[in-house]
Amino acid sequence: MLRKRSMVITSITAVLLALSLGIVSAQERVQIRWFVGLGAGTDAPQIEAQEAVVEEFNNSQDRIELVLEIVDNEQAPGVLSTQIAAGNAPDIVGPVGILGRSQFPGAWLDLSELLTETNYDLSDFDQDLVEFYDIEGEGQIGLPFAIFPSFLIYNVDLFDEAGIPYPPRNYGDPYVDWDGVEREWNFDTLREIAMILTVDSNGNDATMEEFNPDDIVQFGFAPQWTDYRGRLSLFGAGNFVDEEGNAVLPDHWRDGLYWYQQAMWEDYFIPNGVYGGADFMGGGNWFESGNLAMVHIHLWYLPCCTWGLADVEYQLAPVPSYNGVTTAKMHGDTFSIMNTTEHPEEAFEVLTYLIGDKAEELATLYGGMPARLSLQDTYFDTISQNDPIAGRDLHWDIVVAGMSYTDNPSHEGPLPNLREAEDVYNTWSGNLDNDPNFDLDTEIPRLLDSLQQVYDQSN
Amino acid sequence: MDMVSALSEARKERFAWAGFTPARRREALYGFLFISPWLIGFLIFYLFPMIASIIFSFMSFELSKPDEAMFIGLTNWTLLFDDSTLIQSLQVTFVFAIISLPIGLISAFLLAVLLNSSQLMGRNLFRTLFYAPTMIPLIASVLIWAQVLNPSDGWVNRAIEVFGFDARGTDGLRWLNDPSRPGLVWIAYTFIGLWGIGNAMLINLSALQGVPSDLYDSARVDGATWWRRLLAITVPMVSPVIFYNLVLGVIGLLQYFIVPWVLTGGSGDPNGYTMFYMVHFFKQGFIFQKMGYGATLAWLMFFIALVITIFLFVTARYWVFYSGELDS
Repeated sequence: MLRKRSMVITSITAVLLALSLGIVSAQERVQIRWFVGLGAGTDAPQIEAQEAVVEEFNNSQDRIELVLEIVDNEQAPGVLSTQIAAGNAPDIVGPVGILGRSQFPGAWLDLSELLTETNYDLSDFDQDLVEFYDIEGEGQIGLPFAIFPSFLIYNVDLFDEAGIPYPPRNYGDPYVDWDGVEREWNFDTLREIAMILTVDSNGNDATMEEFNPDDIVQFGFAPQWTDYRGRLSLFGAGNFVDEEGNAVLPDHWRDGLYWYQQAMWEDYFIPNGVYGGADFMGGGNWFESGNLAMVHIHLWYLPCCTWGLADVEYQLAPVPSYNGVTTAKMHGDTFSIMNTTEHPEEAFEVLTYLIGDKAEELATLYGGMPARLSLQDTYFDTISQNDPIAGRDLHWDIVVAGMSYTDNPSHEGPLPNLREAEDVYNTWSGNLDNDPNFDLDTEIPRLLDSLQQVYDQSN
Repeated sequence: MDMVSALSEARKERFAWAGFTPARRREALYGFLFISPWLIGFLIFYLFPMIASIIFSFMSFELSKPDEAMFIGLTNWTLLFDDSTLIQSLQVTFVFAIISLPIGLISAFLLAVLLNSSQLMGRNLFRTLFYAPTMIPLIASVLIWAQVLNPSDGWVNRAIEVFGFDARGTDGLRWLNDPSRPGLVWIAYTFIGLWGIGNAMLINLSALQGVPSDLYDSARVDGATWWRRLLAITVPMVSPVIFYNLVLGVIGLLQYFIVPWVLTGGSGDPNGYTMFYMVHFFKQGFIFQKMGYGATLAWLMFFIALVITIFLFVTARYWVFYSGELDS
């Protein structure tokens, strides 16, 4: 009896001991929450891969427990704001682009001190790119992780069908037209070939008198999935605000607005509001529909959104110039630590793991080119082996060369009262896209007035 | 206090306590226990947020900068008078309500009358078919409608072209994004709304089935036509249900949000004609993160809805017929 009782007591003691040890063990780990949603990382295959990264990190040490939080892109800004308001903000956010980060000014931890304390090696990064994340008044709010240069992609089949030569092979090369005449690869040349590649249901192209603009079945060119700051940056870098906080429209952007209006409503080679959401234009993924001859887009587009082009041959081409200046806008992603974190050292350790050991794997996963110089050589070999671009012989040197023409200031750069300013110019440009009678001479001053009102509210 | 009133008070107290026998106390306890999930839910998800939103309306409070929140008195309320988009959104909401509400109510009622007809073959099948769209998630159906109403390759415009009309292209019927014809987008939205009248139809149908058939028999004997019977018997008899649908419809339209949000992302395209009140509210509160001003807009809408609902209830006595009132 006594023996039985002592066995029970021993068992209970053992269980309690095991439990308490477990609790102690769990308590020892510092929890670091990684928030994904402001940029890439929310697609199903990416989620799986990120979970594997988290598991690998957690198994590699016993001091930090990394917890992944994935929120849909649409919901992410609201969810993150709510978490901040509730005092429940995550520790690390990323990958996050310039725009996503600009939505939360003042929310990021200045990494300068941690970089100095840990003597972190920055020699593997382009110094300009490191300074890109050193924001006035906020400090070093991130480190370079992945970059997404932009370029043109053209549908080879549609060029062959039209019987016109392809765009130039390299930046600086002229366009050699159907008569063998060399032309500067600029937006005038692009306009001309884009009109030839814009076709109605009777096979007439946009240069012909018989062309029916009410029955277009194929378009020549479009900048896809970008707002008007992105569209206008093709005509040169700029912004809607000057250094004094005044609403402005740079001259080359003004030219760009007239160019786009003509392209949509007179030349018809860019889809306007009538055609933008049409089924035959892929419901918004225009180039993937196979009915757009040339698109201007970023590197992230290729691995994410070209699955419908399996039977279509396409190739990369340089961005045309405007007034002799070429501008290929750039997206850059990073991971940032929120300044509300209670564990900055541990969060920094995770951050350096993500942009260090896992930089190549994650950058490839998100479709970006690693910012680490040592990883760039092998990047294109790796990315070419993965679907949906596996087996294609793409001109990757165009992507690398595009980095020399990036937009500075960025088309995603800060604006006073950013969210409302974006709403103002997006609403305004919605009318430009939808209204064939939109009078730019009248509407541009109204846009600037509206923007100025929004800017003034931020003071 | 005199002797009689003191005795009366003492009895009242005794009887009050006497009512709470152990069994009744237990019963009351169980009662509270069973409704406690609702009570707790009401407190957490309705009452506290409502109180919080009143407080927010007197504050400058941005979600991502909680540390900078501060009391600003009536500033948010005075801001209502300077908000041009607010005026626009109220106009859009009320004009759309004037177009959409009668069409929705009359369609639901007439459909119910049709489906209640003994002369209709396959009534149950039609009832199911007309109700079925209600089962589809609204966002999915709105996305489908966006393609159906697409100006260049949507089914509606293609169908219209079959009859020889020029419906496609820039000058065609751009249902959802024609900046020069505001009525068109409101008609399209009304059309999309008709897809979901199944509930109102069902409620009308159940009311129609409750109208005593002897009233119709008497009317027939008196030589009343179908139209006369509809106006003199059916409508008055189901008027409480029509009133119910009207109140729900008005409140639903004041909260109209999902359709314009899914189709335009809150841009108000075309030309601000879809800048409904709730879209404006959502943008202020959750996109621009001005929770203080957002709360003010929410309370303004509450007062507007309250005034309209009171107005409807006051006028209801002149046209809503409750047969039970006659019996009593």
